Amino acid sequence: MLTVLITGLATGMLFAAVALVYNVMYSTSKVLSVTTGHISMLGGVFGAYAISVLQLHWTLGLLAAVVAGGAFGALTELLAIRRVLNRSDEHLWLLSTLALATMVQQAAGLWWGTEPKPFPRLIPQDFGVGVMDQKFWLPIGMTLLMAIGLELFYKRTMYGKVFMAMSEDAFAAQARGISTDRIRLMSYVLSGALGGLAGFAAGQLTFAFFALGLTLTLNGFIALAVGGLGSNVGAILGGAALGLLNAYASYWFGGEYQQTIAVGLLMIVLLVKPEGLLGDRQVRPV
Amino acid sequence: MKSRFVQTTHALLMFTALVFGGSVLAADPIKIGWISSLTGALSSAALAENQGVQLAVDEINKNGGILGRQIELLTRDTSGDPTKAVNFAQQLAFSDKVHVVIGPVNSGEGLAAIPILARAGVPNIVIGSIDELIDPQKYPRAFRVINTNRQWISTANDYALKNLKKTKIAIIADTSGYGTASAKTATELLEKAGIKPVYSVLVDPNKTDLTDEMNKARAAGADIVMPWSAATGLLGRLLNARGDMGWRVPVVGHPALMAAQIRKLLNKPEYWESTFAAGYHSTTFGADGKLPQRTQQLVDKVRPKLGGGEIDVLFWWVAMGYDTVKVIEHAIKTSGSTDPVGIQKVLESTKDFKGVFATYSWSPTEHNGFPDSNMTVNSANTFKDGSFKSAPK
Amino acid sequence: MNSLTHTHKAWLLLGGLLIATLPGWAGDQYQLHLASLIAVYWILIAGLNMVVGFTGQLSIGHVGLLCIGSYAFAVLAGKSGWHPALALAASGVLGGVCGLALGLPSLRLPGFYFAMATMAFALIVNDLVLAQVDLTGGGIGLPGPLFPAPFDSPSGFYYLVSLLALGVTWLSWNLGRHMWGRALISIRDNPVAAQSVGVAVFRAKLTVFVFSGVTAGLAGAVFASLQSYITPDTFVFELSLFFFVCIIIGGRGSIIGPFIGTVVLTALPELVAPLAKLGNFFYGLLLLVVVLVVPEGIGRVFDIIRERLRPRVVHREPISPDLARLDRALKYKP
Repeated sequence: MLTVLITGLATGMLFAAVALVYNVMYSTSKVLSVTTGHISMLGGVFGAYAISVLQLHWTLGLLAAVVAGGAFGALTELLAIRRVLNRSDEHLWLLSTLALATMVQQAAGLWWGTEPKPFPRLIPQDFGVGVMDQKFWLPIGMTLLMAIGLELFYKRTMYGKVFMAMSEDAFAAQARGISTDRIRLMSYVLSGALGGLAGFAAGQLTFAFFALGLTLTLNGFIALAVGGLGSNVGAILGGAALGLLNAYASYWFGGEYQQTIAVGLLMIVLLVKPEGLLGDRQVRPV
Repeated sequence: MKSRFVQTTHALLMFTALVFGGSVLAADPIKIGWISSLTGALSSAALAENQGVQLAVDEINKNGGILGRQIELLTRDTSGDPTKAVNFAQQLAFSDKVHVVIGPVNSGEGLAAIPILARAGVPNIVIGSIDELIDPQKYPRAFRVINTNRQWISTANDYALKNLKKTKIAIIADTSGYGTASAKTATELLEKAGIKPVYSVLVDPNKTDLTDEMNKARAAGADIVMPWSAATGLLGRLLNARGDMGWRVPVVGHPALMAAQIRKLLNKPEYWESTFAAGYHSTTFGADGKLPQRTQQLVDKVRPKLGGGEIDVLFWWVAMGYDTVKVIEHAIKTSGSTDPVGIQKVLESTKDFKGVFATYSWSPTEHNGFPDSNMTVNSANTFKDGSFKSAPK
Repeated sequence: MNSLTHTHKAWLLLGGLLIATLPGWAGDQYQLHLASLIAVYWILIAGLNMVVGFTGQLSIGHVGLLCIGSYAFAVLAGKSGWHPALALAASGVLGGVCGLALGLPSLRLPGFYFAMATMAFALIVNDLVLAQVDLTGGGIGLPGPLFPAPFDSPSGFYYLVSLLALGVTWLSWNLGRHMWGRALISIRDNPVAAQSVGVAVFRAKLTVFVFSGVTAGLAGAVFASLQSYITPDTFVFELSLFFFVCIIIGGRGSIIGPFIGTVVLTALPELVAPLAKLGNFFYGLLLLVVVLVVPEGIGRVFDIIRERLRPRVVHREPISPDLARLDRALKYKP
């Protein structure tokens, strides 16, 4: 039973990390990108590539994952978001990010292969330790670190405050001399780096698999919606809830209804409290 | 000195004669359609089979073709999408007017495409394993070269019950179409032998950890685990769970348990011990450490095409691909033409056609050509160069 | 868009003639099959166009409704032995009901949330189909029953789906043409303004969504018959994406645009069949390029070309100040 709990928490924390990435992207661009899950997929794939294929030390593998994630984040912003935001048309960024997500998934499938490939052991540890296995604790620890890091970033650093300013009111920020384009690019690079990190940490759990992207996009989004858009603590709670629910439902009812249960959770929360557990009520001036 | 005009015309006429004269001499090519899934799910199998198909086609063409006609291979990639398989089946049958079709690879695509080829009357060499793909009444010109799913499952079951003498069976399959169908067939066959599985579960192929299912199987008193899934990720995790838990039970099941990728997914190489899967005599090393002669010949021919080093794909895929073309060659040569009626008659009366993968026999009422005698059980961790050693009796 | 000009009518007549006589001039049965497939897809897309193109709701899960329609038809007309026409109607109704069930909770959600909800719906349908083995055959799938004569031959079937497609197109054209259509477009462009003018936003969205559910159900039924065999593998998320892209590439707010989009995108993979591996990648690339360069869709490209060839004559009316009067006004001291 303990395994169910820990597995659920670990996958839940991966979803929470994706939700954190959504949050960072959303704060500066008000866009929820379909490519969010794919960033983590790239982190896992590039990490595995660096360590297993290029035989580099795991710290370099970590760096590779972060750089790959950050680069893809920047690419998303430059290609799919920047030109499209000006047109004030909601569909377009959904489409452009969807297109980019498809492209990156196919490219990864062609380059890395369509079979899940192993992710290397990062810290020497015996395999029989059960619930203390690093494949569970790495994602949990990493996501908590990321959340704490983000909070410190927003509260204590200048750039963090600039991000918050942009999320409050982009025009006012621009009027105060903040280069919104550059800040947005930065936030996408940051969110990409975080996503890559999350994918790297969870690699031993998920294996390096090219098709992870869409699953993570959807589940990360459910974690985000349940926890509330804009709240990092909410993201963690939402992710944990989703992960645990998935694990226990799968344990008791078998794996066939997994998606149904995940979405069931989402629908219930959205019907009762549409802004999520800890989200702010979205009030829009008309 | 001939004028410029005459010289040029002369050259032009000679050139034209060479080009068109040449093509007039060559006969119409024999068109073989090959519906494959080179990208997407099960692509590793399709890619290996493709190697076999290409090799056979090149070999036959170099030796003058079939009945003096060269083979033209039309390859179509469906990426695992049944709608594309249907479209390509239509295209190959009606637009390209091929003489024979090989494939599709995936059973899901086959279920949709084979009826279409049957309606068009095009002879079809089937390489999907699900039982429903073959029916001499509904699909009179479809002949299967691969073993049936039933043959896989009953071989594994027999090994579990008769050789390993286990009676408490845990079945773990994935939620895909293949997994659900196989789990059902496996349970059915076990019940015929008087055994009811103590634990049976369907798992999402991407589930990250199988410790729970293995724990439940252990709690139910299972003394053997039989997985039915082609998803290497799932199988790798299952073996890891068994090893991490320290649970000493044999695992017997789908041939994918022996795939080379599994080796890389295991936490420790020892986890591959006590793992057996349905295999073939044609890709098993004998007591003398040698492969059957025909297999070894093909291995030597194919090796340079696969990089020259060790072969790290399941060799039976390559052998089977090679055989599909050889079967077509046999059918057309023996019937003397590409007339579908003739091909059907020849194949229906073929007995013991010696291929590399197996020795095939068909009859008017039996379109499954793979003999039970070629089935055996292999030990997974004896993988070498695409083939295996026999499992202990 | 309100009324047809003579040129429009002429084009439509020509197109109609081509479509009606297609079995005659199509090269072979494969091309006829492709044409029937386009018609089947168009039945669904015409309805979806109302939702995505007109009302602006980003539904990317309609493959779930197609799946429901297909299985309903296969089970009712196949296993239960209903008459195919009755099964067809029942599939449409079931599609509508499921559209209602999906739309009621989801349509209140903002854009991305709604999109994700529809995507999750498609995945749930897939789960359920695989799990309910006794009903749907699970992974093995079900055979797709044929319609009775005269629709059981390829050309007969083609006429059946063309008629259905025509009917659906006429319905959606009427919807778009009258005030209803204007209301829908206003919801897409600015829901708040629409509401302030008295448009019943939620009711409009829901009605249109149910309509798209009905068309999806109908499309699913004929799809099952066309494919002659359906398995859960057919109804993947990428298909939903395909429908969505047809509409966007064709241009929102029009009907002929998405139709051309459907024709082009269905025929394209067949033309580049030899390029096998890179198929889906180029698909995504095409979508990205269209979104970045001509987001209004292909229709816009035609407009741009027309502008270049025959620029609209702009009447110049120079506005010059009346200086004398200005002088007097300035000098005027009350």
